[in-house]
Amino acid sequence: MSDKKTPEISRRNFLSGVGTAVVGAAAVATPTVKLEAAQAKAPRWAMVMDLRRCIGCRACTVACKSENHVSLGRFRAVIQEKTMGTFPNTKKAFLPLMCNHCEGNKKDGVPPCVKACPEFPGERAKFKTADGKTIRYRSGATYKRPDGMILIDKEKCIGCGKCIDACPYGVRSFDPFVKAGGDPTKQAADKCDMCAHRVDNGVEPSCVNTCQGRARIFGDLNDPGSEVSKLVKEHNLAKDANVLLAQEGTNPHVFYIDPDNLLKTLYTQRKKGKLDHFVDQIT
Amino acid sequence: MKKLNRRNFMKYAAGSGCALAAGLSGSQSAFAGSIRLQAGGRDFSPTTNKELQAIPTACWQCVTRDAMIGYVEDGRLVKLEGHPDSIRTLGKLCAKGQAGVNQVYFPDRILYPMLRVGKRGEHKWKRISWDEALDLFASKLKPLLDAGTPELLMYQYGRHKGSQSSIMHDFMDAFGSQTIGTHTSVCEGPKWVGQESLWGGMYDNWDYDHTDFVVNFGSNQFETHTNHIPTSQRLIRAMVDRNVPLYTFDVRLSNTAAKSTEWIPIKVGMDGLVMLAMVNVIMKEGLFRKNHLKYMRVSPDYHASDNDKIAAIKKHVAKFTPEFAEKESGVPADKIRQIARGYAKAKSACLISYRGTVMHYHGADQERAAMLLSAITNNLDRKGGRVMGVGAGWKHPHSPKAKRQKGLDIVNGFPGEAAFPTHQCSQQNLPMIKDGQNGRPKVYWSSCNNQAFINGNNKEAEAILKDENLIPFSVSTNIVYDETSQYADLILPDVTYLERWDYEDMVSPTGVAEYYIRQPLIKPLGEAWDQGEVFAGLAKRLGIDLAYSTKEEYVRQSCEMTPGVREAGGFKYMKKHGVWHDKNAKPNFGFYEETVDVSGDGIILDEKTGVYWNYKKAGVSEAEAKSKGYLGVEGAKNAYVAQDIQGTPRKAYPPNTSFTKSGLLDFYSDNFAAKGFPAFPTYTPIPEHQKMGKNDLHLTTYKVAVHTHSRTAHCKWLSEIKHDNPAWINSKTAAERGIKEGDRIKVSNDLGEITTTAHVTEGIIPGIVAISHHLGRQHSGIYGSGKKSPTPGGAEADPDAKNIWWDKHGAHPNSIIPNSSDPISGGQRWMDTVVRVAKA
Repeated sequence: MSDKKTPEISRRNFLSGVGTAVVGAAAVATPTVKLEAAQAKAPRWAMVMDLRRCIGCRACTVACKSENHVSLGRFRAVIQEKTMGTFPNTKKAFLPLMCNHCEGNKKDGVPPCVKACPEFPGERAKFKTADGKTIRYRSGATYKRPDGMILIDKEKCIGCGKCIDACPYGVRSFDPFVKAGGDPTKQAADKCDMCAHRVDNGVEPSCVNTCQGRARIFGDLNDPGSEVSKLVKEHNLAKDANVLLAQEGTNPHVFYIDPDNLLKTLYTQRKKGKLDHFVDQIT
Repeated sequence: MKKLNRRNFMKYAAGSGCALAAGLSGSQSAFAGSIRLQAGGRDFSPTTNKELQAIPTACWQCVTRDAMIGYVEDGRLVKLEGHPDSIRTLGKLCAKGQAGVNQVYFPDRILYPMLRVGKRGEHKWKRISWDEALDLFASKLKPLLDAGTPELLMYQYGRHKGSQSSIMHDFMDAFGSQTIGTHTSVCEGPKWVGQESLWGGMYDNWDYDHTDFVVNFGSNQFETHTNHIPTSQRLIRAMVDRNVPLYTFDVRLSNTAAKSTEWIPIKVGMDGLVMLAMVNVIMKEGLFRKNHLKYMRVSPDYHASDNDKIAAIKKHVAKFTPEFAEKESGVPADKIRQIARGYAKAKSACLISYRGTVMHYHGADQERAAMLLSAITNNLDRKGGRVMGVGAGWKHPHSPKAKRQKGLDIVNGFPGEAAFPTHQCSQQNLPMIKDGQNGRPKVYWSSCNNQAFINGNNKEAEAILKDENLIPFSVSTNIVYDETSQYADLILPDVTYLERWDYEDMVSPTGVAEYYIRQPLIKPLGEAWDQGEVFAGLAKRLGIDLAYSTKEEYVRQSCEMTPGVREAGGFKYMKKHGVWHDKNAKPNFGFYEETVDVSGDGIILDEKTGVYWNYKKAGVSEAEAKSKGYLGVEGAKNAYVAQDIQGTPRKAYPPNTSFTKSGLLDFYSDNFAAKGFPAFPTYTPIPEHQKMGKNDLHLTTYKVAVHTHSRTAHCKWLSEIKHDNPAWINSKTAAERGIKEGDRIKVSNDLGEITTTAHVTEGIIPGIVAISHHLGRQHSGIYGSGKKSPTPGGAEADPDAKNIWWDKHGAHPNSIIPNSSDPISGGQRWMDTVVRVAKA
């Protein structure tokens, strides 16, 4: 299954470039990855899923459950697997899924979940960058932070479920353990937040930390020296074929290295009003 | 316990010119620009953002025992991660390891000593104090000492490793009983017996970091392995980073087969034959390497020339042509040739074999074929090849041993059942007790073990455990009420591995040993006690002196005694850092080449075998040594010094098990020949498979990535992902029986019948059913069995319990798998069972 044409990305090379990276420099110019070039002060966090390296071990699934106290019955990260072909020419493959932390469509830059949130746009919030500058952005119960993370403010959430319905990927669910702050008769919405509590403190997300295949690569697309920037460039990932449901115009920021075309052949989409595609199961 | 030194964990995190940003809303901080995130070693609360306490420790979910970091918040364990400084794990942890938190907090956990008050199996229990429990236990043990029959205490364990093993043996030595049951024969015993007959030791790993080609027979390394995280991550990395091909022979499309360059479906029990056909191709086409021949013995002659050896190997494998192998195994002859050529021509290559290969009739011989393939291509303990795993060599305290040391001969199977049960024949331990011909223990102490679930014919095991005439007093040390503890008289609440001290020693595939410890992340819940404290409590009551009073003390002493660890700072260092390895150590590949000084007193050369041995160490006179020779003196193998290799005394492959052998790889084995087994690796058809009827199918079992065999069903995050185990059946085989996906089916044979669900798939060969063996639990708490245990939990009720959404708990195949042993090794023949399958 390996792609023989892929050049080796050695960790050593990756690290050696680190010190020279220029904050905010544009790494790649692509149709879907819009880099804020000269003004960019915040990172743009993104995930690359190298499907050649995913062995379907579920360490990410369980690490996420543990890290984020995810209740039974729902997941923030899953693996979909599928057996294809006819014996003896049978194949089986794995596809890790999470929130795509979408940039939103090109027109307004607001992802569908954020757009659906009745609490968005809320008051102006401030994001402080590493060099001390302030970026203002619109808060909401579901909102997009200037560093690209789509986050949920459970204090503001009214538990209406509109974001859950609006997400074409079906990665959201109600958290039975957390009340919606805006309407305590309801439960708050929940989903992958890229382990913001770790990333904000300088540590990789938990699923990335434990991925033994190193199939999950997390980093800053605004940094041309980051491994994700290099992978996006080298594998030409910033195109429709390397993200999920590009036709939705959501501009996902989870990119797949997918030499076997699994996004087309394996991915099971949500059915309207249902989330059972996002329950990790091994047959 | 101190926090880890952050600097240790920063090695993967690059420096950055940017300082931490003040961040969002003044309360959170954000990195920006060129800042690199560190991989791990620190964690924070997702709700409060507070940094968690980080404590280095070691996993125990499976025998791999990864070094790891536990994160604690306000006295509660919340997260586990791989240890970033571990040379074995490289900071990774698997799904099971991540779910270790569940071991501590599952709501049915046994937290207090429990005394049975109903009949065995009635599930009626009374909570008692530890003093009462130990007084009762000691009152059953004291008469055994008084009567001079210490062997009537049997200790039956499942997994005891590192200090958990050594402290148990220390106690049993002090008590005087060697009636100790293990479990390796139900795991992969035949593999080790096959290896021991050749290179003396056991436990191969693979140097994937440098290999060029990998062939895998019957191992599901990407999902599960006894050294899973250290090996599988290196294998997938080799494949993607360096384009190393992986060819997997398996009856089933495991995740490993799925990720392989190619899955080669093979019929049940044919791995050894295909390996021999590969040897045939390699020898016939002259693709072998002569380098290792001097270490190989392939005929009765110890001094054969290389040319003689080449001719002998060719002759042995002449009949195993690829065409013959194709007929029997279903693997196309051309495919065998292609893989044999690729394997032999690669600069270095790894040959993997595991349970799919060895848990068969003559499984030990199949492993010998795997070693032969490695040896003729000079891939044995070479860079990039099949290497001897290297583990830590801990020293530990010793208590005075009892003068009387006795053991019941009930752990090696029935008389004549197994020729070389060097890893016991533990599936027959309970049947041997029932039989009674070699005696019965009066006290049966089961620890980290579930005999009534893990063995074949487990219904019989249950009946034996239930019978007070067969087992008068039964003690179970456990954390969960299970199929075995339900028949105990006394249940002792064990600590989980996250609440205890241990030194650990699992092997490293890098050729450099890693020393690491396990330390408590939290105080034990309820009244759970470490087994070390239980030993001390019993010893006090029995008047036995032990060299320690607590497990912590035992581990502390071990750290201060062990060379390397001691100099690094001993116990204090290990508590702080968790792991240690010798930074100057280099992989010791090719250990057999080491030249040996044979000038010492008492060392003579045995002309027949070419072995240098020390007759004085063997305790015989020079005259007796010379007249009887190395092979003729009992215990001479323990006085082995070196092997004459073309005129040079070299370490070669010393014997270190019950096999008496020279320092050569005994591909021609007198040991095997003397017992009527094939002297040279061969193909022996499985008797039951020769008389299968038209409608009969093979039954095989397997493991998935998220469960161990019997100790994870109560882990909610694992059972949520895998709680049902439908029987895999090929679409053609299913159609012949009118079976469709999801149908209820009966799987039956002379032993009985189970009802389960069919999973009709193209990912398995026709003619078999495969059922994973983790599930179908009678008891394992609400998450594992759907029902609450009858023991009072003291842990806070898990609020997640009301979120259970699954009501299936699987079917256990073991009740229709007989206890049947490989006559060579005593290994349980899991993969030889024949069944009939029909719609229920």
